[in-house]
Amino acid sequence: MARVQDAKSTLQALARFGGEILEAHLLHGNRLVETDENQSMLQTLEHHRLVWRIGDAEDLQLKKVLVHFLDHITETERRRYANAQVSHLWQALTDLFTDYKAAKVRSAFDDIDRLEGEIKECLAEVIEDIRNATEAFGAYINTGFAYVTDAELRIRENKRVIEQADRLIQLFESFKLNELAEQAGTDPFLKRLLLRYLPATLEASQKDLSYSLNQLRKMLVRMRENQRLSRLVGTFEAYYINHPGFEATIDHIDFTRLPEAFNTVSPFSIKGFGDIYDPADELILIELAANARTTEETAVPVKVVASATTVDFDVDGEVEVEESDPVEEAIAELLQLVIDGVIGHDLILASDALNRSGLEVERADWLQALAAEIEVLPDEDRQFIEIHIQHTPDPVYPDNLFVYDIALRQAHEK
Amino acid sequence: MSSPLFERTVTALMQEQVICEISDEELYNYLTMPDSQESVNRFLGQINRTLRLTSAQDAFVCAYLDLSRPEAKEAVRQQFKEVANHLEAFVQFLRLVMTLESGDRPVQPGDKLSEGYLLDRITTAPALESKLRSLAEKKIFHTKRADTASQLRSVLDSLEKKGYLKAIGSSGSVYRATGRWSWLYDVMTFIQAHEGIPQEEEAAPEQMRLD
Repeated sequence: MARVQDAKSTLQALARFGGEILEAHLLHGNRLVETDENQSMLQTLEHHRLVWRIGDAEDLQLKKVLVHFLDHITETERRRYANAQVSHLWQALTDLFTDYKAAKVRSAFDDIDRLEGEIKECLAEVIEDIRNATEAFGAYINTGFAYVTDAELRIRENKRVIEQADRLIQLFESFKLNELAEQAGTDPFLKRLLLRYLPATLEASQKDLSYSLNQLRKMLVRMRENQRLSRLVGTFEAYYINHPGFEATIDHIDFTRLPEAFNTVSPFSIKGFGDIYDPADELILIELAANARTTEETAVPVKVVASATTVDFDVDGEVEVEESDPVEEAIAELLQLVIDGVIGHDLILASDALNRSGLEVERADWLQALAAEIEVLPDEDRQFIEIHIQHTPDPVYPDNLFVYDIALRQAHEK
Repeated sequence: MSSPLFERTVTALMQEQVICEISDEELYNYLTMPDSQESVNRFLGQINRTLRLTSAQDAFVCAYLDLSRPEAKEAVRQQFKEVANHLEAFVQFLRLVMTLESGDRPVQPGDKLSEGYLLDRITTAPALESKLRSLAEKKIFHTKRADTASQLRSVLDSLEKKGYLKAIGSSGSVYRATGRWSWLYDVMTFIQAHEGIPQEEEAAPEQMRLD
């Protein structure tokens, strides 16, 4: 009875100091640092033989049995170190088999019994840990690392988990199942574990892990793309703030090397006439025509209430006159002169034309507008114009040319 | 023998639509089949057009095969102007949604945007209302209405009309982002490189958000 009371009191102590014990296990390598505040706790734990120390100067350590228990209950934490955990267990299992083999050679039956029990337990733990480790990666995929708020840190966390998964896959590949299977001996339970459960668990885990790894890598790519887009938006936001009125232009782009993103078609309406030449369409056309006619005929006449004020609409409707652009007009006149004017082989300088026009336009704008207009001229007009771009190379980068004028000449057949 | 799906797909592509899983699942699925792609491309090829995928591989667009032709150049120039003119407004919208969603990534195809949720969040902070007001003054989202709800509605309506959002359900107040955003990000990436816009350090947007 006293033993039961002691055990109950030990469990109560564990419950009472659970937080501190877990902290010591997870954060301080099972060490309980002595302070003035925790004297009572340390005494209680010593009393229940849950801690130990060699000398008084040393910190108290959690006892092995308690550590083992904590290992068991803090599975989530263990999953994080699944790679090392499985590796450690696998090594223990290999050692046990070596001992088991030696015990058999010596016919040490008690040891054989004990080792068989330990091998079974160790093997069961390996299987469980392999499953746990694999499930942990599935959990990462489900959360999408949402618990990390910063994008950069999330990417790092994702990379770290990918490395973990990589290591685990390598570890699984290093397991030599055939060698262990040979050591299973005649024990049916051991044989079942080694020849059936362990390979099946490993195969399923490898499959799940490969899937997880693939998903994690996809997630990483997505995160990086999100980060890139986020920076892209930030870049433009900052640029617009720092350069008010900025407007991107493609006027000087080589159209033959235009990126695909820009190359999209303008709307192109596809319409056809009703096929009045094919008798097969006759019925449909008659119906359509009938409906089109009856719409007007059956329109309900609007009753005009005598007291209502009438609204007169201008028959022609409001006409909005679009103002003509003097630059456009001047360019059109200039091009017309070059195309069908009597100018022989004379060159006309765009800058001269600008000066004579009296327009207050920057020369660069004028040249650009002229070049744009020439570019959109129909081929039948364009063929009559010879263009000579007048430019000087940049003193530093001679490949860059400064265009300072455009000379136009009527093209004559040679 | 005509095929209704082929006809719808080609018509949509030629009407400048971006086809993705959100904008039209049926057409998107049709285009993901190699045989369909081939037949659509064969047809488009005869009229100087071809099928293209955005770099995120999530949306199809129709592109010119030969861009040296004047009409093709002019069309592309017009589209670029359209984007360039409204890009600042799009960027502001993306930042506003990122702030509201407390997210570290901009809107992407498939994302759900709820008008009610956005409105709730905006009305809790005058700074956000001010950002929305500024957005509603942009040409593309312009509205004369002064109340936050109408301004938000105007912004979302404009994005729906432009094909960036698709209303889901019958209420008309929940939207899904379409593949057109992928296309816009491609264009932005190009503009950044082409205009030599320096990459902002990661902290910069955060600082601006605090403004």
